[in-house]
Amino acid sequence: MTGIRWYHLALWIAFVAIMFVMPQLVSKGTLRIIIMANFLAIFAISWDVLSGRTGYISFGHPFLIGIGAYTSAILTKRFDVPLEVAMPIAVLMTMIGGIIVFLPALRIKGSYFALVTLAFMELIYQLVQVIRPDLTGGTRGMSGIKTITRGAVSNYYLSASLLIAIAFSMWLLMKTQLGIALSAIGMNEESVRGSGLSTTKLKLFAFLTSAFVAGIGGAFYVHYLGSIAPRALFDINFLFTIIVAALIGGASTIIGPIIGAFFLTFLLEFLRPYLPGAERYFIYGMVALLLYMYQPKGLIALMHTGWNKLTGAR
Amino acid sequence: MSHPLEITNLVKRFGGLVATNDLSFHVEQGQSVGLIGPNGAGKTTVFAQIMGEHRQTSGTIKLYGKDIGNKTTPERIRLGVSRTYQVPRPFSDMTVLENIRVGQMSSSIWKMITTRPNHEREEEIAHSVGFAEADLHKTPGELSMGDLRKLEMARTIATGTSVMLLDEVFAGLTVAEIAQIATLIQKMRSDGMTFLIVSHDLKALEPLVDSLVAINYGSKIAEGSFAEVMGNASVRESYLGVV
Repeated sequence: MTGIRWYHLALWIAFVAIMFVMPQLVSKGTLRIIIMANFLAIFAISWDVLSGRTGYISFGHPFLIGIGAYTSAILTKRFDVPLEVAMPIAVLMTMIGGIIVFLPALRIKGSYFALVTLAFMELIYQLVQVIRPDLTGGTRGMSGIKTITRGAVSNYYLSASLLIAIAFSMWLLMKTQLGIALSAIGMNEESVRGSGLSTTKLKLFAFLTSAFVAGIGGAFYVHYLGSIAPRALFDINFLFTIIVAALIGGASTIIGPIIGAFFLTFLLEFLRPYLPGAERYFIYGMVALLLYMYQPKGLIALMHTGWNKLTGAR
Repeated sequence: MSHPLEITNLVKRFGGLVATNDLSFHVEQGQSVGLIGPNGAGKTTVFAQIMGEHRQTSGTIKLYGKDIGNKTTPERIRLGVSRTYQVPRPFSDMTVLENIRVGQMSSSIWKMITTRPNHEREEEIAHSVGFAEADLHKTPGELSMGDLRKLEMARTIATGTSVMLLDEVFAGLTVAEIAQIATLIQKMRSDGMTFLIVSHDLKALEPLVDSLVAINYGSKIAEGSFAEVMGNASVRESYLGVV
């Protein structure tokens, strides 16, 4: 929770440089995996800005991502709205969704809040299937949704730029006093009020920011995939992958969820040839559990200790 | 001139229980008033009502003549009244300076984003409550109970408060820590801070207060100088159970 240091900027430049040369280094197949990791990282950052900071654990992030994805998909496919109009509307709608998720946070916290947000996800899962299936595509979802660009390389650059832009702006935002105030809510909400700050305002801001990022991520995601399926989107596995990415990477940081997202995505891909079925998730669960038990502050803390050992600093 | 803190006919009922019963008293500018009473007398409930953590059933609470009875806790704090807790509530993963920073922040989100923290002021406040240079980057887990109390007071000072409510400041402290906190309160008194202090440690409280208000079962039973209140028969009875 310190200020901005020179090595922070050096790390950011290194990160951007690596992402830039990546298509020269890896196959198109790997590039497609990285695209998924980029999107997972965006979702994990969105989750972390809210839950990692304020301690209001959202189990409803697919709800927010889903609003962004569905709004943009429906507008472009059913109403022929151009992408550049549909996507901002999608983000706006997601932020309204963020306010809806925020409302219970006025009264309840902890596991109760988490359960209510889980209910939001279930609710929208049922709603998109029964209400106006001519628009949402019902249970089967939609395909043939307009894509922004074609090919692995350009899609990679699009998702990587999006991730870098979101991560860097969130990082800057969280480096301000606001970041400290949001983390303070996670540590002791009463004391934040007792310091003269309106926790209602702060929480609303956190929900809106989180929804903003989720909306952008959801909209770009659906226009990358070109299809949407409610069962894959409003899925508990999808939800937990987002949360686990943020947690094992390192909650309450920005780089942590990115590392976590890449780690998880590649772990699952690495296991695929050996365990093609759902058994992969067993290994993934074990690895996540062990890592989390060993270092609850995540991979970022492990890397920090490792670096300090290497350089001999304490 | 209006008083920094004025409570008139304050009543708080929790169902059938009357926690505060028609309580009135005031604290004058720069004065320090002790609020005493046996366990369960309703001292902390009075604090909670002044800060807006509990809403009073009836009666008024005025800060510098302004009725604050319907304001939220953060609003009251920005108007200049603030409290510490019997059990310190620090931000556990933050350093001493960062804890103070939260108290110092503007309540506007825009200002939180655009203004830089005032490090000089943070350090000044930390030093003023007696933190050494080496303590500034410690986290609450590394601090003693006495230091945690100081940290509470520092964060309270950082909010810019001019009326400070201290709840059982001496509870759980060593003799040396009590002396430190007492010295700190004396210094702040001479700097013009107005105090309302709840304490069971009457010996430590005596030199720190200009007058006392004694309550029992939520009602005021005595008010006056330390000696007067201590000599009062109903006060002695409430504390000792004998006349």
